[in-house]
Amino acid sequence: MSSVIDLQDLRVKLGQREILRGITCRLGQAGCGRAIGLLGPNGAGKSTLIRTLLGFHWPASGSARILGLDCHTQSREVKARVGYMPENDAFLGDVTAVRFLRILGELAGLPPRTALEKAHEVLFHVGLGEARYRTLGTYSLGMKQMAKLAQAILHGPELVILDEPTNGLDPAARVRMLKLVREMKEEHGMNVVFCTHLLRDVEEVCDEVVILKDGAIVHHADLEQERRANRRFVELEVVGDDRNLAAVLREHGAEGVNESGGRWRIVLPPEVELDVIWRIAARENLEVHRLTLRRDSLEEIFLKAVGHLRSTPPPLETIKPLEEVAADGRL
Amino acid sequence: MAVYRRGYQRYQSPLTGSGSRLMVLPKFAWQTLMQQRLIVILMVVALFWPLGSIAFVYLANHLDLLPGLGQGALGFLKVDSEFFVVFMNVQGVFAIILSAFAGPSLIAPDLANGALPLYFSRPLSRLEYVLARLIVLIGILSPVTWIPGLVLFALQSGMAGSAWFTQNWKLGAGLLSGLLIWILFVSLVAMTSSAYVKWRIVAGALVLGIFFVLAGAAEMTNAVLRVEWALVFDPARAMNQIWRWMLGAEPVTGPDALPCAIAFAVMAAVLVWVLGRKLRPFEVVS
Repeated sequence: MSSVIDLQDLRVKLGQREILRGITCRLGQAGCGRAIGLLGPNGAGKSTLIRTLLGFHWPASGSARILGLDCHTQSREVKARVGYMPENDAFLGDVTAVRFLRILGELAGLPPRTALEKAHEVLFHVGLGEARYRTLGTYSLGMKQMAKLAQAILHGPELVILDEPTNGLDPAARVRMLKLVREMKEEHGMNVVFCTHLLRDVEEVCDEVVILKDGAIVHHADLEQERRANRRFVELEVVGDDRNLAAVLREHGAEGVNESGGRWRIVLPPEVELDVIWRIAARENLEVHRLTLRRDSLEEIFLKAVGHLRSTPPPLETIKPLEEVAADGRL
Repeated sequence: MAVYRRGYQRYQSPLTGSGSRLMVLPKFAWQTLMQQRLIVILMVVALFWPLGSIAFVYLANHLDLLPGLGQGALGFLKVDSEFFVVFMNVQGVFAIILSAFAGPSLIAPDLANGALPLYFSRPLSRLEYVLARLIVLIGILSPVTWIPGLVLFALQSGMAGSAWFTQNWKLGAGLLSGLLIWILFVSLVAMTSSAYVKWRIVAGALVLGIFFVLAGAAEMTNAVLRVEWALVFDPARAMNQIWRWMLGAEPVTGPDALPCAIAFAVMAAVLVWVLGRKLRPFEVVS
């Protein structure tokens, strides 16, 4: 199945500054609704990437393709198949929500009558049905976000790009927004690019995540696979001679990294119980000061990717199974 | 089924062509403008002179209705290039006033509300956006400029006969092209002002200001330097000279039509450049 977004050594310069530095990746799957989280610290190049996909910025070199179409040479075709919800306030002045959507719907290529019908339909869908004849200037921030979402999905695009969609939303509105995003991909088969700072939002709705830093991709993970792997992490703090701990952990199928000063980060495969850690500590005469068990979280992936966290254990796939270790004769 | 019960369904039918998409913005903008009483009043007032001109043309072709007039008055009742130049000048002023009121409401609100990313993320280029806005102004200004002008010309041709038309067809062509150039220029001024200041009222004032300030500055430069060439920077004066050349009328004192046309083209190019710089979906700070 072909990818939705295909970036090949994409470099974008704004003025003299190189913002995107040779990004290469394939995101999403055409034909099946998936949500792609776009994460990164401020200035990482997220917005520049989105704007390049929309044809607002020209690449200095490399290429960006959406659904097999070049974002620059075939910009018109790309835009007909993409919906975009900008981060900042973006409205037409002094018009009702229905008229706002009708104009944008017709501009997207809907026939006039269909645009009017769709405007009503999508406003009910996002929960603005009762307020659809109010001018957008009278809307609250949450309602404006919903109106922006409505205009992005009005023409039934195959790819929807949402730039900070939950910004400024209260908890209830945020839940509603995330529910709508999930519906977009699950019920309507749309692919969604979800650009945000909120890791929890990405964790809740996204199937894959791309982390940008300084204009380059520092991590690209399939969150579905990560969830399926069901990895557990143990943060352990011990006092005593822990020089053999890594080897002993390996004997039990776990993998540990000493973070100095008796602090360890350990990956536990699903079949290894936490109890094993206690037994190893007892056998090695180690005094346990702290032991925290948690599942792999996006936060950890993010912090590791942007370099705020020291190295964590390698992924589960790289740990040798117990039988293999035994076959090596190392037990 | 009622819309509120139907639920959201993705639209998957064919999309309209780029031609009809180009007319979307003008369609909605005309609807909005025609709901503004001031615009409608201005358009009606702007038709008073053409109506008077129709009466003039009628009388000029029916001198037998005015048996008591002297030879001097009868000589005044003449439909020639001077008559059309006066008509163009009067209607040209109305075009400025109308564009000052209608123009700023087209681009300024889009910039103030950040609407450009919404437009440009759809299959609509910057050029098409400018064209669409230009079409709005041309649509508003045409009924008070070249359309009544051509009606007058057709009326005169009909009344004076085919011989007059054969001798004076250049008047019609000059009238049409001259007024089209003028409304294009006035529209560019209105759009650029609107894009430059973002606030509707200030943009309207700026449109009027550009014409009056440039006229004042040109006169002042002439007076200080004791020259005449500075008049080329007065758009109305420059246009008047060009119109006179196009219609074959007697030129007024000041620079010839060619320097005026060059100055006019330079001013238009500057306006296009400013407009191009302002109409971007996002500001890029380099």
